[in-house]
Amino acid sequence: MTTLRTVACIIGMLCALSARSVSAQERAYFVTYDHYLEEPGNLEIAVASTTGFPKNHQPSYTAPWLELEYGVSGWWTTELYVEGVTTRHDGSGFAGWRWENRFRPLKGEHRINPVLYVEYESINEASRILKEIVGSGPLALEPIAELRQTHAHELEGKLILSSVVGPWNVSENFVVEKNLSEDEGLEFGYSVGVSRSLGSLASGTSCHVCRENFVAGVEAYGGLGSTEAAALAETRHFAAPVLAWHVTPRSTLKVSTGFGLTGASDRYLLRVGWAYELPIGGR
Amino acid sequence: MRERDPAWVAPAVEASKVNPLGGRADAVAGGRKVFHQRCATCHGEDGRGGTKAPDLIRPDAQAQTDGALFWKISGGDSHRGMPGFSFLPEAQRWQLVLHLRALATAASPDRSGSR
Repeated sequence: MTTLRTVACIIGMLCALSARSVSAQERAYFVTYDHYLEEPGNLEIAVASTTGFPKNHQPSYTAPWLELEYGVSGWWTTELYVEGVTTRHDGSGFAGWRWENRFRPLKGEHRINPVLYVEYESINEASRILKEIVGSGPLALEPIAELRQTHAHELEGKLILSSVVGPWNVSENFVVEKNLSEDEGLEFGYSVGVSRSLGSLASGTSCHVCRENFVAGVEAYGGLGSTEAAALAETRHFAAPVLAWHVTPRSTLKVSTGFGLTGASDRYLLRVGWAYELPIGGR
Repeated sequence: MRERDPAWVAPAVEASKVNPLGGRADAVAGGRKVFHQRCATCHGEDGRGGTKAPDLIRPDAQAQTDGALFWKISGGDSHRGMPGFSFLPEAQRWQLVLHLRALATAASPDRSGSR
């Protein structure tokens, strides 16, 4: 009963806070970033999960995360992640937190729009949200409880390049990550994505299931080795169709199925996410 | 009230673009809906602006060409807080321009909304 009351209270607060119009511009991708930042003064609350199905009869895992994204200004968006993990027959646990910042150095729209990304991660080896894939080698197979004992402070940088080509968004991300807790050198990764709205003209009436509310695309991401192990053998790569549905002007539901492309990759990655956008501050 | 940035000017080639939906009365309602969803938070439902965004009905704002408005909607001015909306299909951005003209016409019935 207390839980129900708490949930009702949270929903009531969200409704009260979002009495004014604000629109979700949530990207369709799960891994790839485009050049659109959170609108200044908007707070986006998102919950999502990555479910992985490894090869060789290893147990599947699900890694949920909560994401709070805030538009500090037109050129700066900051984001906090809290993540967990649960593995079939192998327990669950907290996997850490991340603080991400994205900066847009150029104003206006260009043929290629750069965004600089800096993230600090305080996570453990049980982290499975796979928001980025770097380096080489498959995921560790030890029990979650054991992996959680190995903590890591990591610094991650990305160069995000994003373009509008006709009705398409085309984005490329180059990733470099440094584990500050261990001497693993610098690890590299990438992600690329293309997506487009399925609609063109906006209809004059409110609609939920109409083409203009859907964005579809595909993204690919993977590791590119490290300064310690430059060989690309044993790197993980995925190709993943993505679909986003702007259920209401404020909320977006998105899904993706990633297909492992190499021997070190999991067989599938199933991702589901829901985001809700709130305006903070007045007109 | 947030003032319009006079230095933010569309390149001539962009400003000369003509709204391909000009005269499409059926497209205005869609522009109104997109404006409500994307723009009204800062500019207000009536387009009169506020502390976060300038008045879009003022004569100096309306004096801009359709192409200039489309260019500004598409690219935004991120360093002054105006997001870009190039993620919207091109047709929807032109619908927004149609709606901006309709707002001005509604505010001043004797003024022509087309350019």
